[in-house]
Amino acid sequence: MFAAIHTRLEKISQYAVWVGGTALLAAALMVTVDVLCRKIFNITMSGSDEYSGYVFSATTTWAYSFCLLHRSNVRIDALYNLFPRPVTALLDVVGLSLLLYYMSYMTYFAFISFQNSWVSNSISITTLGTPQWIPQLFWVAGLALFFITLCFVVLYSLIALLQRNWDLVAKLAGVPSIIEVMEEETAGIDVVIATADAPASEK
Amino acid sequence: MAFGIIIGLMILVLAAVPVAAVLGILSFVLDNISMGGTLTPALAEIYWDKSKEFILVAVPMFILLGEIMLRAGIARRMYAAVIQWVSWLPGGLMHANIGSCAIFAASSGSSVATAATVGTVAYPEIRARGYNERLFLGSLAAGGTIGILIPPSINLIIYGLLTDTSVPELYLAGIIPGLILSIMFMLTIMIACLYRPAWGGSKIETSWGARVRCLPDLLPPILLFVAVVGSIYAGIATPTEAASIGVCMAVVIAAAFRTLSFQMLREAFEGTMRTTAMIMLIVFAAIFLNFVLGFMGITQAMLGFIADMGLTPVQTILLIVVFYLFLGMFMETLSMMLTTVPIVFPIVMALGVPEFSDVWFGILITVLMEAALITPPIGVNLYVVHGIRARGGHFNDVAIGAVPFLLAMLVMILMLVAMPDIATWLPTLVYH
Repeated sequence: MFAAIHTRLEKISQYAVWVGGTALLAAALMVTVDVLCRKIFNITMSGSDEYSGYVFSATTTWAYSFCLLHRSNVRIDALYNLFPRPVTALLDVVGLSLLLYYMSYMTYFAFISFQNSWVSNSISITTLGTPQWIPQLFWVAGLALFFITLCFVVLYSLIALLQRNWDLVAKLAGVPSIIEVMEEETAGIDVVIATADAPASEK
Repeated sequence: MAFGIIIGLMILVLAAVPVAAVLGILSFVLDNISMGGTLTPALAEIYWDKSKEFILVAVPMFILLGEIMLRAGIARRMYAAVIQWVSWLPGGLMHANIGSCAIFAASSGSSVATAATVGTVAYPEIRARGYNERLFLGSLAAGGTIGILIPPSINLIIYGLLTDTSVPELYLAGIIPGLILSIMFMLTIMIACLYRPAWGGSKIETSWGARVRCLPDLLPPILLFVAVVGSIYAGIATPTEAASIGVCMAVVIAAAFRTLSFQMLREAFEGTMRTTAMIMLIVFAAIFLNFVLGFMGITQAMLGFIADMGLTPVQTILLIVVFYLFLGMFMETLSMMLTTVPIVFPIVMALGVPEFSDVWFGILITVLMEAALITPPIGVNLYVVHGIRARGGHFNDVAIGAVPFLLAMLVMILMLVAMPDIATWLPTLVYH
């Protein structure tokens, strides 16, 4: 069951990232048109900066789950790599639990902030006067998705830890080896990566 | 108390707790100790306010630009073109390694992807042309570091945001040190190959005809660079606008090279969003820590401590340099900057030396971060270059090969301290 949920979350986070990327590309196009109109035709279309700011804040939170499931959170592994596997597995679970602790505050206060904007119907202090709850809804949604994913991964890896399934803990929450990082970052690019085991390192 | 906090921080960092969580929890603890936890409810409010800042949008835009360019399939052709132009120098292809990495890294958000991409193309040449493997690998690792100094650099944007320093000024300030460093790398190769000609591999035949013929392959990255950086310098566009224009140009270039597809865009999106999330989670945690530290007056305590040591400004700067060189041996570069700048930056500003300005320190810390990328035992570029060695070998080959380049960086750092004008002359000329 856990494996199925994990796969499902991976799929959801992947869709979130595709939507986020598309929105980012659209924002790039919007800003470009804005600049060209301003420089060539002397027409000022205000708003592209504000909208792209919203796109940025929302898409970033939408990508957090994807980043987590791909184990791309930055961790300093100078000592980590020297420890035996049971210790690294324990560190993986502890590390993610502390991230969950931090993010639970973040998500809670973000929700409060969204609620305040909704109740007081606050608008941006620009000519657009965007009601803040609209972009904040997307922003909070991303944080909520991240929070749920984090809860799940912490639970799943904790169970794997208790079952002494070190491989599964590493797969869910471990620091990836440099070879894994390279494979991830060069997916779809014409790159040859040696399969010999290189020591794992940071990103 | 301060001592206890630092010990606790070190334990969390060394226990491989995600850096964002370390910074967040540190902020909570400091807030609880000094302000009774009254600042923590502002956590999300600060995140929201900062995340709307237009300058931050430049970060994912530049990453997306790099991801698309990486996938546009220009690496091989560009490398071949750079060879034509620089391989007459003693050291041959190694200059192309520096040049290609510099051009590629300037447009790419990932030094891992840059070193891997250029490295894959270059690696077979070691045996084919009889190069000294260590120096060759070292040149690949070192070349990949130049990108974070030469604009458009994401690190400089984040430094600018954290310290309220003008990003266009930082971008101008990075140009001369970036060029000097590239030239110093090339001089390092030349000196090594004049001393030991056998290290320089067999000669590559080129002609002016071939050089001119390969120019179209160099054109896309150069055009992109000129359009993006040029429009910022000319005051036509802000960094975010320039990055957005760059993204659109990269899509057109990929289409021209017939590599644009939905599959390619999806991969570029995934890479962009993953990297952005990875960076931003830490950046927002660091911004909150910065906010808490501002209330606590911890900076004042640090300033008092430094003043009690009775050091001259130059001695203080050198102490900071040593501190970063040490930290760079173990820490990932961006986390290194984000965890330390909130404390170190006010110290540098409090020295009261006009030459040691905010812009200047941004460049100094960036060169220190470049050094960290190739400082053993943990220098990410060393591992990446080691990772593309299809024939395998010992990791020490790369680490030793990078030492001459690391020395060149140390010289650069000392030059920046002795002659701050190297960084500040250009922005002063343009903006003041």
